[in-house]
Amino acid sequence: MEYPEELRYSKEHEWVRVEGNRAIVGITDYAQDALGDVVFVQLPDAGLQVIANASISEIESTKSVSEVYAPVTGTVVEVNATLEDAPEQLNTDPYGAGWIFVVELADAAELNGLLDAAGYRAFLEE
Amino acid sequence: MDARRDAAGQMAADLALLDAVEAGAGPVLRVYRWTPPAVSLGRFQPETDLDLEACRSHGVEVVRRPTGGKALLHGGDLTYAVAMPRPSGAAGHVDALYRTLASGLIAGLSRLGVDAEIGGDRGPAGPVCFAAAQGADLRVGERKVCGSAQVQRGRTVLQHGSILLERLPFDELDLLACPEDPFWRHLGTSTGPKWRQNEEVGVVEGLEGARARLRAKSVTLEELGVPTDPAVVAGAIVAGFESALDVMFGSRVRADG
Repeated sequence: MEYPEELRYSKEHEWVRVEGNRAIVGITDYAQDALGDVVFVQLPDAGLQVIANASISEIESTKSVSEVYAPVTGTVVEVNATLEDAPEQLNTDPYGAGWIFVVELADAAELNGLLDAAGYRAFLEE
Repeated sequence: MDARRDAAGQMAADLALLDAVEAGAGPVLRVYRWTPPAVSLGRFQPETDLDLEACRSHGVEVVRRPTGGKALLHGGDLTYAVAMPRPSGAAGHVDALYRTLASGLIAGLSRLGVDAEIGGDRGPAGPVCFAAAQGADLRVGERKVCGSAQVQRGRTVLQHGSILLERLPFDELDLLACPEDPFWRHLGTSTGPKWRQNEEVGVVEGLEGARARLRAKSVTLEELGVPTDPAVVAGAIVAGFESALDVMFGSRVRADG
């Protein structure tokens, strides 16, 4: 399992890549492994206002539907439409092609509430 | 046994189990039948997979499940729904939860004299649940006897599934509309539900051939020659879950809604 050092992590197993005031969000290697083969991703709509920890997206894998939570508050400004035809990218490249959506941050200070890679690894071992 | 709800009411009752667990209840279990018959679609399955007029003419309600998977015809089945806190760590993974709950179902079916196993081939991607036994499902030999699906919400999980008791006079092939799908080719024809509009004898044989092949993918308790009385089967399933989950459901079994 890989947890890149430059990312932040939520306890709901999302990762966040911060670029300026934008947060790119996906699910972690741990999460994709726990879900099994992803067959469908229901993407949020661009423009959606989200609150941290609210359910924002759903993923179907192996006849199981799981929720994805917004790790930060803000506005969805971009979604990864390639997941509509290739949802398996969540399994094959969770930190790259498998990104799910981008949130324009309402409050950058919220990022301090997320875990760093070492913190997320420790959380997984609890 | 709760058969007083319509199809949407049954799904709402299943989701209420998840709400109860989220609110702090322990594992809860519900066992029920469907009257009138209904076809349930997976959470994200297109409604266009169904011929809605054919559903109406067969008196079949249509409902969407909160869980994943494909179309399942209810009426000849017994459905279980179990909600519980999701274990932390690997035990809370999708496949692990399926295995845990499958062990309860296997123990329950064993009480009826059925020797079921988990999983099977993944089969072709198709619109019908009982056309393929996947890792979440139970089979007897190569034939699927129980299909299950899950929804995970935060630290909780709801899994429900159908155990086939007996056949209805019609099946999913009479209710589907999916003209271009590998599923049909897998069943030995590329014409799909166009059979129903075609009077040619050869095409009708094509439909019946496909029906025979679809039915060969699944098996009912009646065909296995074991008890099919819903109350008896429900009792066995409850006992099976209690042994596998090491919990006494007691008043947390909702058999009467």
